[in-house]
Amino acid sequence: MSSDRVLRLADVLVGYSTRVREGDLVCIDTGPAAAPLIRELWRRVLEAGGHPQLRLDVDGAPELLLREGSDEQMSWVSPLRRAEVEKADVRIAVYADVNTRANSGVDPERQARLERAHDPIRRIHFSRVASGDLRYVVTLYPTLAAAQDADMSLSDYEDFVFRAGLLERDDPRAEWEALGRAYGLVADRLGRHAEIRVVGDGTDLTLGVNGRTWVASDGRENFPDGEVFTGPVESRVDGTISFTYPSSHAGRRISGVKLEFRGGEVVRAEAEEGETFLREMLALDEGARRAGEFAFGLNEALTEFTGHTLFDEKIGGTVHLALGASYPETGGQVQSALHWDLVCDLRNGGEVYADGELVYRDGRFLDGVV
Amino acid sequence: MTDTRIERLAALLVDYSLELREGKVLRIDSLDAGSPLVLALYGAALRAGGLPYTNVSLSGLGEALFQYGSDEQLTYLSPIQWEEIEHLDALVTIWSESNTRAFSRVDPTRHAAYIAAQRKLSNRRWERISSGEMSWCGTLYPTNAHAQEAEMSLAEYEDFVYAACHVHEKDPAAHWRAVSSQLKARAAELGGVRELRILGPETDLRVGVEGRSWLAADGRYNLPDGEVFTSPLETETEGEIRYTFPAVYHGREVEDVRLRFEGGRVVEAEAARGDDYLQSLLEMDAGARVLGEVAFGLNYEIDRFTRNILFDEKIGGTMHLALGSGFPQSGGQNTSGLHWDMICDLRREGEVHADGELIWKDGRFLADPVLEMVESRVRG
Repeated sequence: MSSDRVLRLADVLVGYSTRVREGDLVCIDTGPAAAPLIRELWRRVLEAGGHPQLRLDVDGAPELLLREGSDEQMSWVSPLRRAEVEKADVRIAVYADVNTRANSGVDPERQARLERAHDPIRRIHFSRVASGDLRYVVTLYPTLAAAQDADMSLSDYEDFVFRAGLLERDDPRAEWEALGRAYGLVADRLGRHAEIRVVGDGTDLTLGVNGRTWVASDGRENFPDGEVFTGPVESRVDGTISFTYPSSHAGRRISGVKLEFRGGEVVRAEAEEGETFLREMLALDEGARRAGEFAFGLNEALTEFTGHTLFDEKIGGTVHLALGASYPETGGQVQSALHWDLVCDLRNGGEVYADGELVYRDGRFLDGVV
Repeated sequence: MTDTRIERLAALLVDYSLELREGKVLRIDSLDAGSPLVLALYGAALRAGGLPYTNVSLSGLGEALFQYGSDEQLTYLSPIQWEEIEHLDALVTIWSESNTRAFSRVDPTRHAAYIAAQRKLSNRRWERISSGEMSWCGTLYPTNAHAQEAEMSLAEYEDFVYAACHVHEKDPAAHWRAVSSQLKARAAELGGVRELRILGPETDLRVGVEGRSWLAADGRYNLPDGEVFTSPLETETEGEIRYTFPAVYHGREVEDVRLRFEGGRVVEAEAARGDDYLQSLLEMDAGARVLGEVAFGLNYEIDRFTRNILFDEKIGGTMHLALGSGFPQSGGQNTSGLHWDMICDLRREGEVHADGELIWKDGRFLADPVLEMVESRVRG
């Protein structure tokens, strides 16, 4: 990305998303491919009076652990990771993959084990974010690997990422604040209902949401953003949902996922590609078979699938459901080492009913709240 | 294609230098340019049953801290770093700069403040290293920046670095074990010496070392390695010395340093270039005018000056005598804030006499050390 674009992105991440203040310990987690963004973040954090600390991924190291690690090595968590999640005031995570399929040949059972080992860290992270102790944002720096997943040239992909963040606007922060207010209206509206039913191609799913909080997501925890999400009532998810677009998860590709829920639990699961991996993930722990999150994608600047969940789940006109952990701030109770978002496109004939009333068709709310 | 020398260096560090055992926590510190060695070390540590993790940063961020950080930010020590130190059983530092002169324009006062703050962390680290709670080794991964400093191509520099570490050979650990017993025997022998007299071009220096312990640098704390060193008696240095190689301190060079000692203290000092810097460093504190180290460089694969102390102080056939802090484990008492290694080339015309007996000529000891001396010392 051009330095001007990188500068604007860093400005929003530090000044708006995580609101870095004097004395904040700010941990930046990413890979070397994001170097231009890291340098700009570093500078912004220093200018804001924070204390930046960087942990760079080493390409190939996770794969070595997955292939060669013993049980003890696989279940061990480094003191750096633990101290970081316990002591940081701010965490900025930046996807900068150089190969989104690097784990394709790894035993999925071992991947599941590794995720389980990091569950205690995830719990601390989720609870500190929910209580406001930890400000966290995750974003993506455009790499060739991510462009390849999106079937784009790098320069087209950079344009896409830049626009998705509304960074070409005069005042991106103000844009996100305005969107946040609009998403808030959707959250308020959804909060009045006890039950949501989603109907679409290969999908007819009913979710209980009574008493749960819908959260408007406005570029603070994800960047770019654009969704309202909640944690469905754990025992009240029933029916079938088909996910539309292939995605890369944990370094491998999965497509054609179809799930059947009964009493809140997945009772049947299939995938055209990556079914073994899907089964291992569902068997990861007690919570992995449950829907920890259900959400509406509301970002109208995002229209096409690019294979990265950070963007795909926000496409205006989609919904997504996450297998595994729920966000405590929604009232959701699911605990799991897994949190895996799967996206369902409702723009062609999809419908949503709230307490039996049709409120959403072809990817839009009928009363035009957004 | 992987350079097998990197794999061998990694295995040597894990198995020989650190002796990493099953279940022991290893942190690997590096800048991004050192990634190939980081990855090889990570793999070697996994195979040894260790618990490795990486702590890799990006080049250029250090300078930015000076550029944009307040004094408070500059001297900040993160609670994460304090926490981590207590959990480490082993640590590798990989020096791998992408620009060795990045700090040239930094304000020296601010630089000193930064170093003083970091020293609090490193003191705690050294406490744990000295007490045997953790092991540490420092090494280098060759980059163009280091090659440029050494006036070599990257390929030439790689050959130089890996030969110095002896990882161009099949079994480097066997080499270093042999070096270790040689150096220990030499150190034991030197332990019986009361006074060294160093003779060379414009050099005639007497250094009292009676009662001080000589230590063998055999690849545990540095790779490459190869020296024996001690801290001389603080009041027993007399005469003059001329340092033929430039003396480098924090990236700044002082050329052709000449020192005259009386009663252990530098009483006259001059340099052909950088004299102001030399004088200012001598004024740092009371110990800055007193030697803290005298050592023989004995790695004969290192045959030239490369402007990097990791290599330069081990050049086979040189001696280095450092102004400033000494080594408590040798019996050294000097606690100066300075430790400035200066290297004296004795390969062409140089002699060292021990209590009047010629023991070293033109860059070589005249006799191999007597290995039994090690045992007698151990028994004693």
